[in-house]
Amino acid sequence: MVSQVVKVTNEQGMHMRPASLFCQTVTPFSSDVKVVFNGTAYDAKSVMMLMSACIKCGAEIEIQCDGPDEAEALKKAVELVESGLGD
Amino acid sequence: MFKGIAASRGIGIGSVCVIVEHDLKFEAKKIEDIQAEKERFNKAVEEFITETTAQAEDIRKKIGPKEAEILEGHIVMISDPSMAGEMTKMIDSGQCAESAVEAVCDMFIGMFSKMDDDMMRQRASDISDVKISMLKILLGIKDIDISKVAPGTVLVAKDLTPSMTSQINKENVVGILTEVGGKTSHSAILARALEIPAVLSVPDITKLVKDKDTAIVDGTEGNVYINPEGDVLSQYILKREEFIKKQSELKGFLGKETKTLDGDTVELFCNIGTPKDAKKAIECDGEGIGLFRSEFLFMDNNHMPTEDEQFAAYKEATEIMGGKPVIIRTLDIGGDKDIPYLNMKKEENPFLGYRAVRYCLGNKDSYMIQLRAIVRASAFGKVKIMIPLVTCVDELRAVKELVEEIKKDFDEQGIAYDKDIEVGCMIETPAASLIADILAKEADFFSIGTNDLTQYTMSVDRGNADVAYLYSTFQPSVLRSIKNIIECGRKAGIPVGMCGEAAADPMLIPLLISFGLTEFSVNPVLVLTARCVISKWSKEEADKLAEKVMALDNEKEIVALLKESAKE
Repeated sequence: MVSQVVKVTNEQGMHMRPASLFCQTVTPFSSDVKVVFNGTAYDAKSVMMLMSACIKCGAEIEIQCDGPDEAEALKKAVELVESGLGD
Repeated sequence: MFKGIAASRGIGIGSVCVIVEHDLKFEAKKIEDIQAEKERFNKAVEEFITETTAQAEDIRKKIGPKEAEILEGHIVMISDPSMAGEMTKMIDSGQCAESAVEAVCDMFIGMFSKMDDDMMRQRASDISDVKISMLKILLGIKDIDISKVAPGTVLVAKDLTPSMTSQINKENVVGILTEVGGKTSHSAILARALEIPAVLSVPDITKLVKDKDTAIVDGTEGNVYINPEGDVLSQYILKREEFIKKQSELKGFLGKETKTLDGDTVELFCNIGTPKDAKKAIECDGEGIGLFRSEFLFMDNNHMPTEDEQFAAYKEATEIMGGKPVIIRTLDIGGDKDIPYLNMKKEENPFLGYRAVRYCLGNKDSYMIQLRAIVRASAFGKVKIMIPLVTCVDELRAVKELVEEIKKDFDEQGIAYDKDIEVGCMIETPAASLIADILAKEADFFSIGTNDLTQYTMSVDRGNADVAYLYSTFQPSVLRSIKNIIECGRKAGIPVGMCGEAAADPMLIPLLISFGLTEFSVNPVLVLTARCVISKWSKEEADKLAEKVMALDNEKEIVALLKESAKE
């Protein structure tokens, strides 16, 4: 498993649109992708789960990827969050 | 009369059509043929997606992409593995599709409605919409077609779902009444986008009216009348005409220059808090940004924003404004605005303490980061620097020196910037007002901040209810101060703006015209109103009024005279 801590910088945080975009980005990977926030791991392939974490702007999240394409999945996910989740 | 939340301005008078809530009760049953039930569920999901896609398309055309996104969000939700996936699992365990939809949706509704975030709580109502639509499909319930209601209809519903709103035809629906929802709910946003008067959260309204009743919807005041008496009705018919006339008059000011009755041009800018607000300023026809509060960058953050982060925000706003002036106020913290990570000391008297430019000059390293970011952004449009809470000329000089230092550094490094970038002062303290003539020699512009100027001039904490009665921009002392600031600026030949709430006040505008204010900076939604009021005053008439006002010795009489003379 690989993981990295990133900061959510877009104004809205993990709301509907950013969460959907995140989900769409990681879903094609066969690895399991999780977002750990405040001690809880959320399935990053589910928009509902991502939103239920109530991640706001400025929050630090840990992205965990586990599977055959984990390195590539993590890279893409981190890039997306760092670029402001499409906001 | 019934009261509710005024959610979309205007007056609607028409015949009631109550949208009946369907009873979505069903009997949970144990499923024998699980495969068939799963197919029934999948078909319902498909139908839901087809219907919702069509509605989203409809809304996109009628209202806009942002509103359509709400419905597209519903499709994302139902397709989510935690929704459809969990529902399928429940069907697998022998439960019927209706039970599965209800249980999973209710679980999420419970979760989202408990969150401490307004936008997230809104998602609970989205999930509720998804649930209702899915249950209707599964139970074979068809809604009445709102798009086919008769002209002159007042829609009355418990709540308007986005899918209902998508069918609303502006030509036929003259008013909206609901039992739930607030100013920021979907129904409110959509009603405003369609310019249909709406009053929301009227308790039990669906039970208080029946079809064909006559209803008055006063979306400006939040009042509702059902089968009103003749004189109330005729009064409201008149009010409606006035409102419509006013709206079309205001629309006539779109895209026009801001001119007094004599044809003298003044600038009409907007106050904004985030780069995105700049879009609003453009939509509302603002001619520039008179106050970009940079605090948001610092407040919505857990660390000092870097030069690049700040630069990106300033550049974004500047580019949106496309060459129109953008006046960025440097960090104005302290007083009532605290930023946790700066670890500012608790002060006995924060409004007289280490705040705004005082703090910035005391923390030069971080101030330089902000100034550098602003100067860099100046390469992308017409950016100006504005210093808050100036009390002596040394502060202005110190900031100008820092800016010169940055320019020199940028020249050496070959970083692009606007060589003529202006540095101006907020005039919001009695001290600055009294030395406005001195400051005017070295500042490129002035901007009067009425809130602080009033508070400091009157020595009154407006949050303190015992003294709040003294807080008025119409106190003779404050008006004299404003007059002096504008005159000093004019003598020195620099522009003088006003970026407090007062700049859009129809009572104050004639005085500002008389004193010679050159730039009015207002909340974006007030641009057209201010432009309209300004257009109604000639210099001569404003001067006459100002002379009378300045001769009065107390606030009460001043307010009475200005109220009586105000032009809307």
